[in-house]
Amino acid sequence: MIEVLSSAALATVQDLGRTGSLRWGVGTSGAMDNLALAAGNLLLGNALGAAAIEVPVFPFKVRFGEDCAFALTGADCAARLDDQPLLPWWVHQARAGQVLTLGLPQGGAQRGSRAMLCLAGGVDVPEVLGSRSTQLRGAFGGHEGRALRRGDVLRAAGAGAACKTGFGLVPPALALPLQQGGVPAVRVLPAAEYMGFEPASRAAFWAGEWKITSQSDRYGYRLEGEALRPIAPMELRSHGIVPGVIQVPHSGQPIIQMRDAQPSGGYPKFGTVIEADMWRLGQAPIGSRVRFIETNWEEAVAALDEVRAWLDKVARMVELHRGAPAARR
Amino acid sequence: MIAQRPSLSLLGTTALLFEAPGEMNLNSQQRIWALAHEAQAWPEIREAVPGMNNLMLTFLRPPRGLGALEALEARLRDAWDAAVALPREGRVVELPVVYGGAGGPHMADVVAHTGLSIEQIVELHSAPLYPVYALGSHPGYCYLGGMDARIATPRRKVPVLSIPGGAVSIGGAQTGVSASAGPSGWNTIGSTSMSFFDPAQNPPAALQPGDMIRFRVEGIVR
Amino acid sequence: MQDVALQASQFAAWLADTDIGLFELRTPHGSLRLGRQGDDIVVLPACDAEEAAAVEPAVVRAPSVGVFLHGHPLAGAPLARIGEHVPAGQTVGLLQIGPLFLPVVTAEAGEIAAMCVAHGLPVGYGTPLVELHPL
Repeated sequence: MIEVLSSAALATVQDLGRTGSLRWGVGTSGAMDNLALAAGNLLLGNALGAAAIEVPVFPFKVRFGEDCAFALTGADCAARLDDQPLLPWWVHQARAGQVLTLGLPQGGAQRGSRAMLCLAGGVDVPEVLGSRSTQLRGAFGGHEGRALRRGDVLRAAGAGAACKTGFGLVPPALALPLQQGGVPAVRVLPAAEYMGFEPASRAAFWAGEWKITSQSDRYGYRLEGEALRPIAPMELRSHGIVPGVIQVPHSGQPIIQMRDAQPSGGYPKFGTVIEADMWRLGQAPIGSRVRFIETNWEEAVAALDEVRAWLDKVARMVELHRGAPAARR
Repeated sequence: MIAQRPSLSLLGTTALLFEAPGEMNLNSQQRIWALAHEAQAWPEIREAVPGMNNLMLTFLRPPRGLGALEALEARLRDAWDAAVALPREGRVVELPVVYGGAGGPHMADVVAHTGLSIEQIVELHSAPLYPVYALGSHPGYCYLGGMDARIATPRRKVPVLSIPGGAVSIGGAQTGVSASAGPSGWNTIGSTSMSFFDPAQNPPAALQPGDMIRFRVEGIVR
Repeated sequence: MQDVALQASQFAAWLADTDIGLFELRTPHGSLRLGRQGDDIVVLPACDAEEAAAVEPAVVRAPSVGVFLHGHPLAGAPLARIGEHVPAGQTVGLLQIGPLFLPVVTAEAGEIAAMCVAHGLPVGYGTPLVELHPL
């Protein structure tokens, strides 16, 4: 078990998301960086979608109540186990009583914004509607349907079990880079109301750098840039939406719907960030800039294949290593 | 402009959005329910999610290649053309509402936009029997059809950060009741109390498409 | 040593035409180590037991085939510095195999004497990577 020592952390228990309940108004939730979650689980030999703790605010501290293997992926946050510095994107062994401290995200241009703390066997909370992700609106799932607080105690389903530790992964930000004009970029498929915007606005969207303002969180990223103007006012019927949908309200400043977004909406949709690139947005820090690359259906599906292939390669290499006898020195 | 043919569009590689043509009405919604029932069984589709005279299909596996995507879209258009309205005789649920006052902070904006008095707005809002068209927005939230066009008020320019569960609101030509606290771009005109969602129940939502809601006037606060 | 040095440029020219990453030649007259850095062939520092001081140095060897890194790509700073005193079990470098990083770990305490392979070069199983003077 681990005890949360930090207060006001905004950390939540997340897995890969809650699917199949959109028909009741339940959105998917889930990790903002699904690649970091999956990779951390693979390092531990967990099921790919085992629940973990997503940490968006630092510093963050937990104490291990028992021996437990854990993996830290996502943002490199100069982590320490007691006073020992830890390598990022790595699987470690904690002993009972040790304190894990996540510091501030490091790295300048490569800096991420969310760390994933994965535990041996996954975080052991009840499944609700098929998932262990936290549904904040409605307060269910994850740990008591809310963000973690000081004093919360969480169980790791595989604590105490023997686990090979002391190795790591090349972060996907390095293995699968994507930039436009020196700025991190994500690919976007135009959506239904795309042609309803002024040509100059459409051009500005692809050409511009968009700042992720401080009013950005798991519900949505509010962007700052050139105002996007519709050719004529658009009033839409409420319809289903998914994370990645870029809505343009009256202000003209786009909002990218993120993992905790409402599963339906009525604002005009300019485009949708492709599923394969959502993890990149999940790591983009407040105040950073992002660019959008126009893509098409086949490229977007190929991008999903690329991510899956990376995860498959990681899974194969990790299993080879976990199964290998100890190397002679 | 009201469309004559259905409109199909992509939501990234995650989902396909189907928008029915014509005026928004219950008959179209019943055909959407029928379409959802059929598409839910297709191998590419994870979930068929009705909206207001529209349907979102989330992919289990995105169709590989443009040809496969176009074939799916064609299959969907054909299924719509063949769809017969699925009438659902659901329950009637009555909700007591206190209109205006602290629970209806945007009543004045609806008055200003429509040019009607509070009493007229309350009468027009509480008169109909509202069919539940779809659930969405947040757990247990019901999208209702049948609101009188005379009290339609556009969504707010700046959404409100948090309105409580039980808030009765108008957004464009639609009305609905919040099932839990959260942000909203709609105009809140009153409040009610009811449990709309319990994840421990099966199904977890208290209401479903085909049920009907009536708003009973409990009081009007000016 | 003279003979070997004269032949270095010949070996370098030959090596440039192959995809061999590391070439080591030991003769009674001296040794030569060549490696690749980008497109260039460079002469690497010698890790030669004959040049050691009175105490036999310890060598940390590659636990596998892979690419040797002096530091983590996210960090920038090297994991070990020449002259640094490190305990047994210290990670003094990384070995990259595809998407995986394995730690290069000291078996005994010692003082870092030399990095035997430049950062970013491919190595074979057992290749000497880091030389330590035992404390």
